[in-house]
Amino acid sequence: MISTRHILDSEAFHALVRNRVVIILVATLVLGATLVPGFLDFRTASLGLDRMATLGLLAIGLTVVLIAGQLDLSGGAILALSGIATIGLQESLGQIPAALVGLGVGIAAGAVNGFLVVVLRINSLVATLASMLFFRALCHLITESRPVSGIDPLFGLVVSRPIAGTFTGRTLLFFALIILLHLWLTRSVAGRQLFAVGSNPASAEASGIRSRAYLFGAFVFSGTMAGVAGVIQSLSVNTGSPVFGESIVLVAIAAVVIGGTRLEGGRGSALGTLGGLLTIAALTTAMEYQSVPAYLQDIVTGVILLLLILLDRTVSSSQRREVTLAALWRRARSSRSSRKNERTPAP
Amino acid sequence: MTTASALRMTGISKSFPGIRALSDVDLDVAAGEVHAIVGENGAGKSTLMKVLAGVYQPDKGSIELDGAVVRLADPIEARRRGIGMVYQELNLVPDLTVAENILLGSTPSRLGIVDRRALREQARAVLDELDARIHTDDLVGSLTVSQQQIVEIAKVYAARPKIVVLDEPTSSLSEHETQALFRIIGRMTSAGIAVIYISHRLREVIDVAQRVTVLRDGRLVETRTTSGITAAEMIRLMVGRDLTEVFPKREVEIGDVVLAVHGLSRADAFDDIGLTVRSGEILGLAGLVGAGRTEVARAIFGLDDADAGTIEVDGQAVRIQGPRDAVRAGIAYVPEDRKRDGIVPQLSIKDNISLSVLDRVAVGGWIRPGAERTLAQQKAAELTVSPPAIAPRVDTLSGGNQQKVVFAKWLATKPRVLILDEPTRGVDVGAKADIHTIIGELAAQGTAIILISSELPEVLAVSDRIVVLHEGRIAAELPRGAAEHDVMHAATGEVSS
Amino acid sequence: MNALASPPTRTVERGLFSTYGARLGLPAGIVATMLVGSLLSDRFLTLQNLTNVLINMSIVGIIVVGMTFVFVTRGLADLSVPATVAVGGLLVLGLQPSIGTVPAALVGVLAAGIAGAVNGWLVGYAGLNPVITTLASGTIVLGIAQVFVGGVIVYGSDPEAQAFLTGRVFGVVPVIVLIFLAIVSAGHLVLSRTVIGRWSYAVGSNPFATEASAVPVRRVRAFAFLLTGTLAGVSGVLLGVTLQTARPGIGMGYEFDAITAVVVGGVSLLGGSGTVLYAFGGLLFVQLLTNIMVLQGVATEPQGIVKGALIAGAVAIDIALRKRGGRE
Repeated sequence: MISTRHILDSEAFHALVRNRVVIILVATLVLGATLVPGFLDFRTASLGLDRMATLGLLAIGLTVVLIAGQLDLSGGAILALSGIATIGLQESLGQIPAALVGLGVGIAAGAVNGFLVVVLRINSLVATLASMLFFRALCHLITESRPVSGIDPLFGLVVSRPIAGTFTGRTLLFFALIILLHLWLTRSVAGRQLFAVGSNPASAEASGIRSRAYLFGAFVFSGTMAGVAGVIQSLSVNTGSPVFGESIVLVAIAAVVIGGTRLEGGRGSALGTLGGLLTIAALTTAMEYQSVPAYLQDIVTGVILLLLILLDRTVSSSQRREVTLAALWRRARSSRSSRKNERTPAP
Repeated sequence: MTTASALRMTGISKSFPGIRALSDVDLDVAAGEVHAIVGENGAGKSTLMKVLAGVYQPDKGSIELDGAVVRLADPIEARRRGIGMVYQELNLVPDLTVAENILLGSTPSRLGIVDRRALREQARAVLDELDARIHTDDLVGSLTVSQQQIVEIAKVYAARPKIVVLDEPTSSLSEHETQALFRIIGRMTSAGIAVIYISHRLREVIDVAQRVTVLRDGRLVETRTTSGITAAEMIRLMVGRDLTEVFPKREVEIGDVVLAVHGLSRADAFDDIGLTVRSGEILGLAGLVGAGRTEVARAIFGLDDADAGTIEVDGQAVRIQGPRDAVRAGIAYVPEDRKRDGIVPQLSIKDNISLSVLDRVAVGGWIRPGAERTLAQQKAAELTVSPPAIAPRVDTLSGGNQQKVVFAKWLATKPRVLILDEPTRGVDVGAKADIHTIIGELAAQGTAIILISSELPEVLAVSDRIVVLHEGRIAAELPRGAAEHDVMHAATGEVSS
Repeated sequence: MNALASPPTRTVERGLFSTYGARLGLPAGIVATMLVGSLLSDRFLTLQNLTNVLINMSIVGIIVVGMTFVFVTRGLADLSVPATVAVGGLLVLGLQPSIGTVPAALVGVLAAGIAGAVNGWLVGYAGLNPVITTLASGTIVLGIAQVFVGGVIVYGSDPEAQAFLTGRVFGVVPVIVLIFLAIVSAGHLVLSRTVIGRWSYAVGSNPFATEASAVPVRRVRAFAFLLTGTLAGVSGVLLGVTLQTARPGIGMGYEFDAITAVVVGGVSLLGGSGTVLYAFGGLLFVQLLTNIMVLQGVATEPQGIVKGALIAGAVAIDIALRKRGGRE
């Protein structure tokens, strides 16, 4: 008798889940190609990717944070704050210095997050929730809840114009960065050690890895990427607004999760995130074409995210045991190990 | 003695509040030797190794490495000094390769980029020295348990330790894999490493170790060579003791069967467990670490699943899918891990006691404060909880009193069957006596009791019958008056002495 | 570490400050704020001004009751509140013309309740991360609500209902404030005197021991989210009727304010402690502070800063106190 449990426990299912990003991406592309004429045209692709670039930059930062076993909800607020700095300071500092300040804002914000999580040891969920609210409030304060306009709309075109007839500036930047991230995660010592930190910070420390430094760095990186995204986005529309980036974090998390990076840490890949982003880009393009309103698109994204984390959860707890990575670990070992509930008494 | 001592621990003593974990223990291990440490649960093996690992500081005594006195302030220091620990719970990163795990923290690199060739070569070299046939580029997460353990050993070995401690290394290994492990141990000793081998598998100990140290109740019993020793002798050393803390058993009339368990099984944990317990009877459940006693208890109580088996209470079959079903059927469980599963730290004594029976002191969902208070006071008094107030937070109490609160909570449910898992662990002698009195009282009232305890004298003194588990199966059923070594025999899987 | 269990821990006595300091701090703070307020502006202590403070508190206050349960059960936070508030507001005004105000209100609350129930199932039973889940479900629910009303602003058509809610009982207390106070009282009583309230504390304090004590842990966790969703729906309905207009973004920021109130009030994010009254106190404090700033002519945004800083500060203090109390 085939019960749900048998299916969920089977090798085939696990393999499916592991490689899901490819499957989902292919499925989405097929869907898009059927619904949208000219979907697979270069031009459509270029536009679709351009729209996704900002999201992609944020997702790059989030990938690192998630692999480190943490969460960062403040990306959207940092994006807005950086954008406001970039545009708002143009008059007094000039365009390029203002953009640099915007970048600096992202770095500083990331450091604040790092401080809250690593030094004050606040749970990253809570800390970045608080910082998100704080940064967002700062945005509203500085701009008095009104968008700020820049001095020269043409300046920002460099990021949103196709370069040499291929992709736009920001798309190229995104691709460059994600490839760099991939290389860093797979080839550099620090990148490999990040996995150890996310998997088990204590035993990473025991191997001589400075886990706390890595965690701090992960938040600074995530903040920086949000800053880059903010600078680029505000320049491209020549506006800094306190309401930018309001729902971007959710979509970014969705992209990363679709890509196979787990919320528990110690596992993930840049290419996976790329796959997740492409899926989202394809979906968004298809939906835009069908004139699906924004709120419906949100529904789709939300549903996909929920289904995926449910799926992850079901696979993990198909034997009704705890779902920590440690427990996944224990279960991966073969049958004869006894449950760790049996313990020797204290002495 | 001509062989140099790689490690000499002298006069090690370590106490925790209310418990004397180690008293004046000596350990001497030579380079290139495999030295086993055996003892019952609670004998002090783990604590001794934790002292060696730098996790605990000894209250008294000294540690010498290669003749020089050292102070192992923390695990990092111990590692630096050449002490390598391989625990049962492995410290590997599943998403990194074998090579990366082995050289974690000392990855060969050029300008921050991993030098893949050097990584592979160095890891290969380590694995070859241990004669381990594992591919360096496989992801650790995809390996079998035995292979992962070898990687963990390789990781420890790569740091060129002087001493390697293996804690219950064969509990998840097949016979074949165990032999592979022994070969690796052989490689390590050839390289001059002193290997400390902790296990309750006595036959293995005789096979692999040159000398064995027996601990009992935190004390050193004897250290001797394993040549010519038998498992029976080791057992005698492990359990023979003065029975100073025997609490007189209360004679009680034993009635009908209250709890009947048939064919209870769960893959990886226990198989075909059948038990019956009668009214007023105390059934002792004995066995070593990993035998499956707590697993069985939790399965009966519904905290964990079972794959197969039936449970009957008072002749009626009951379906237990969770603790609520169990309580409704009249089963109660005092858990092994008091801190995690027993008390709710921020709530008061009163709130802890009433937690499982709130619906009995409530009307339509509203708690009747007077009724609750009365119940809690009554139970607290019955169990002589100290201090005799019910308002303080339960985390302000001593271990023994916390245990009494847990008891009180379960007694409030008026159970037909009470399962006690290590009820007197971490409890001072006074409270221990109180708890034994309570157990006797409960039996007299007709409650059927299952007692899980690693303290053999306790089990032997208190139980009417004893069921011994070994690796998830019932190894023996012994009557009242059985001798300790009979229990140990069955518990260690020795079928004949 | 494996079979090496930790030694029996000695429990740590909590210092006088951490037991009483937190409790006395807030009432003292409120009194201090009122003193400062009356000194800074003679309009502060007037009946009218204080009634205004209460009115402003009412909408958020209803949500705060639910959020308190979420915190106590260690559900971390319910970020779908903007969505459930909007559902309440959009549905009550959207359906008003066809079925009347009261039935429309009931539908609004019911829909929000269903959203809360789904959250409850996902977090309590499926065990998903509450923050991500409520974030996702919030966007989904908001989207569905917008589909339902066509994505535009909805206008109310029943000024009598509006008058009713804003009207005063005994010429003094607005009806809406009465509703708010009633819900707060009910919430407090449920959390402190009922079985499910006690279970909520137990679950937040030690879910393992609570499960082992035969308490339906998952049900308790789910309940907190169901309650919050429903109460947010109620708020949304009241908001819609009072304003006679509702747009999808109507609930924005309420989750922020509710969480601030709960945290400032001293309800621990880690669960197991705090009461609805504490949260009420936190809300009162923040509202009084806001009121003072408004009377002084301070713009809206610096107020946001203060609130954001308050959250971070209060959480950090809570964690520090916990650490000193000897707990993870």
